[in-house]
Amino acid sequence: MEFEAVIGLEIHIELNCATKMFCDCPNRPGDEPNLNTCPTCLWLPGAMPRLSEQALEKAALLCLGLGAELQPRSAFDQKVYYYPDLPKGYQLSQAHLPLSRGGGLDIIDENGAAKRMRIHHIHMEEDVAKLVHEMEGRVPVSLVDFNRAGTPLVEIVTEPDLRTPYEAMEFLKALRTQVRSVGSSECNLENGTMRADANISIRPRGTTQMSTKVEVKNMNSIRHVGDAIAYEISRQTAAVQAGEAVLLHTRLWDPDKKVTLPMRAKFEGPCVPDPCVPVLELSEEWIETMRARLPEMPSVKAGRFSRRYGLTDDEALSLIADPEVARYFEVVAEEGVAPRTVMHWLITQLVPAVKERRQELAGSRVTPARFAALLRMLAKDEINASAAREVLVSMFDSNEAPEAIVGVRGFEQISDLDALDALIDKVIGEQPGAVADFRGGEEKALGFLVGRVMRASGGKANPKVIRGLLADRLGEAKP
Amino acid sequence: MDPIFFHRNPETATGHGHAAVQGHATGHGHAPDDGRLRGLKVAVQPGVAVKGWPTDAGSHALAGYVSLEDATVVQRLRGAGAYLCGSIHAAEFGFGLAGGRTGEAVRQAFADIELVLDSIGESRVAAARAGVCGLKPSYGLVSRFGLIGLIPSMECCAVLSRSLDDIRETLRIITGQDGLDFSLPDEEAPDFSSMAIDPGKITIGVIDEAQDALPATEGEEFRASLEALRRRGFTLQEMSLPDFSLFSLVHRIVGSVEASSAAGRYDSVRYGPRAPGAKNWNEMYLLSRAAAFGPFVKSYLIQGAFFQFERYGAFEDACRIRARLVREMRRLTSQVDFLAFPGIDGGAAGVPSGGMAGVPSGGASGDTAAGVPAKGGPGSPGEAPSAPRYGAQASLRGVYAEFASTLFANVTGQPVLYLPSSPGGGRAGIQLTGPRLADGRLLALGESLLETDRKGD
Repeated sequence: MEFEAVIGLEIHIELNCATKMFCDCPNRPGDEPNLNTCPTCLWLPGAMPRLSEQALEKAALLCLGLGAELQPRSAFDQKVYYYPDLPKGYQLSQAHLPLSRGGGLDIIDENGAAKRMRIHHIHMEEDVAKLVHEMEGRVPVSLVDFNRAGTPLVEIVTEPDLRTPYEAMEFLKALRTQVRSVGSSECNLENGTMRADANISIRPRGTTQMSTKVEVKNMNSIRHVGDAIAYEISRQTAAVQAGEAVLLHTRLWDPDKKVTLPMRAKFEGPCVPDPCVPVLELSEEWIETMRARLPEMPSVKAGRFSRRYGLTDDEALSLIADPEVARYFEVVAEEGVAPRTVMHWLITQLVPAVKERRQELAGSRVTPARFAALLRMLAKDEINASAAREVLVSMFDSNEAPEAIVGVRGFEQISDLDALDALIDKVIGEQPGAVADFRGGEEKALGFLVGRVMRASGGKANPKVIRGLLADRLGEAKP
Repeated sequence: MDPIFFHRNPETATGHGHAAVQGHATGHGHAPDDGRLRGLKVAVQPGVAVKGWPTDAGSHALAGYVSLEDATVVQRLRGAGAYLCGSIHAAEFGFGLAGGRTGEAVRQAFADIELVLDSIGESRVAAARAGVCGLKPSYGLVSRFGLIGLIPSMECCAVLSRSLDDIRETLRIITGQDGLDFSLPDEEAPDFSSMAIDPGKITIGVIDEAQDALPATEGEEFRASLEALRRRGFTLQEMSLPDFSLFSLVHRIVGSVEASSAAGRYDSVRYGPRAPGAKNWNEMYLLSRAAAFGPFVKSYLIQGAFFQFERYGAFEDACRIRARLVREMRRLTSQVDFLAFPGIDGGAAGVPSGGMAGVPSGGASGDTAAGVPAKGGPGSPGEAPSAPRYGAQASLRGVYAEFASTLFANVTGQPVLYLPSSPGGGRAGIQLTGPRLADGRLLALGESLLETDRKGD
């Protein structure tokens, strides 16, 4: 029997708010442990939650960006469980009345077909504290860092529309692009600003039955999500084929062994309404104000990039994946540099260089104006590509205009024909064999000779010009 | 041990300037000591946070806990120049009064007002026992920031005093929006200015079913009180609320579920005593929480957990019935000016109420605070000196029976004024209520009744 998987995702996204969700503590979980705490996020007796307006706005923008419908009435509930990472014995979450319902994203599946992946609902909740397990001598101790307690999160719960690991990975990529473009989160699985859990079950292909699902957690890259789902599908398939029952439980992905392993269940009860956070009543007017704040959505932007800048769909998609890159691209392209040159140099040279230096594109010394100046010199053949790469490196270390760097470092191409003729004469004299080969019809020999002239020029000659001059000279001299 | 105060303010009353500076330093937006309450002596419960004071809310779960900040009510009272004289011995989380001395500071004139957390009717029962006035304000009128209780959707900071005027002035100061409690509805505070009451123009409703469960003597007293009101010119109107008996059930189910969840924070991880000997954190939870609560509160929490985890449907039903009771009560209060409810037979101060079924003799009164250890309290051996403070005996059934006439207002959130019996005995203690935000009008009605009490019928 052939099986297919039914996969739903539960994705937690950390909102990039200045403060925590219910108090004014800075939302910086990575600081020195327990630095960002107050009586409210430690939930000392008598503390009252004060919902952050920014958290609500960022969550609402995220919902709208995913095409979800903000609910006129939503409310927080108490998700009760006892664990040392939860300072008040319950987590504030929207279990009964979520912030939004519906919405979804389009992805392209492995066969190239467009597929709509629906979202069931999106709700807000607070993050819990972080547990650190250490040894004090021979005694194991568990320490609690409350910096993360109260960090604003949204949880996106999809419909079980996904069928393959590939689709799950494509969905997460599309989600990441969309959320980054509304500006609500960094949305990174690697650093925990996005966390994805997968619910997986299998059924005979072609049926509509809903089988017992298994939840898999602890994947911290999109690749791991794909690997964990693939492993779980084959594990469940093998179990069913061996006549074993699939049990409802939670498993953890082990990235080293590349397997999922069962984890001990947390005791959880039904959620009760919280009497302290007021019910959220969103007016039509407020929702429209939020909608007006939505930036251009990626699919719209990709279409505009293809039309305006003459890019292919793939090229446009590669630019809009990161809104910062897209913004940078537009500024440089509008400075009159050929869009495809901008795209190529931005994606293959500048972005990796910025990343390597652990900088942000927006704050880098290589401003769009300087980058445009560099690319203009390249376009006018004032420098060649290898010189341009070296100038780019220097631009990170100084604020000088690229033209000045080129002048000081002597990167200008040798365009003086007399100087080039002298170099060509010298190389022809030194390489009679290659000259003979070329004259004998071996085109490859010309490339070798161009390389020799380039080397003699110290890399400063324009290879296109040399090729032309060499071909002319050798052709003239042909008997 | 002090018979009334669990903690006395180390600063004397003349230290006002200092208190005002403290109030200012907390920066909650009130001017330092504007003098409106200067000279007013305030006693609080240990579940009201006062910065630097031991704040154990009467529970072993918070033994030794010292507040880091003032409750909003405290900060505002200080800002108006009131003097905080101390916190009194109170029941565990103030709930049900068992083992506390609530009302005694006011009765014995150690304080002009007492702040009392009213979750099931504590302020009105304590006022009855002490023979003083008590006002439970409308829910949502007074900030809950810094109040440590068990039932967030029902508890409210109430005020006891011998003088309605002091209650009025106190409410003027402590009510209103608070940047630290977003749960307060965005609405205008009631008018607390005194207003004339013309009995000839006032109709007071009486709910038949509210008298059903009263013992015979209390029923007679209540009818006599109503007759006294009629003689004074008020129009009385009989009304019916067939589901009145459901108030108790709804309070018990919703209240215990909320309490079970609210008390989840007493886990000994970050604060509160941690029981020794646990091998892992699950054991730490079990041992510490087992030692944290007295038997009465523990039985309430277990009941709440039962409804939440085993009978969630019953909890949902209770929430639905609560919404219906709120609507019904709103309908009734819209048809009359006020409603009268039986007062509580508090008996003489310090004497346990006759209605406390299941309460061992003396357990409901101040014996514990007076130095006699509570019988059968859990008192973990390591906590010997403080053991008598915790774990007074009471039964859920007994407390719910005793508070049967008061808990309706905690379910609906409406304001209630308790007036003690008239000095001549013509009128027994009585509860007066109205619609939400009728707090100011209730005080005016109370003043008018006390005035005629003084003149005699």
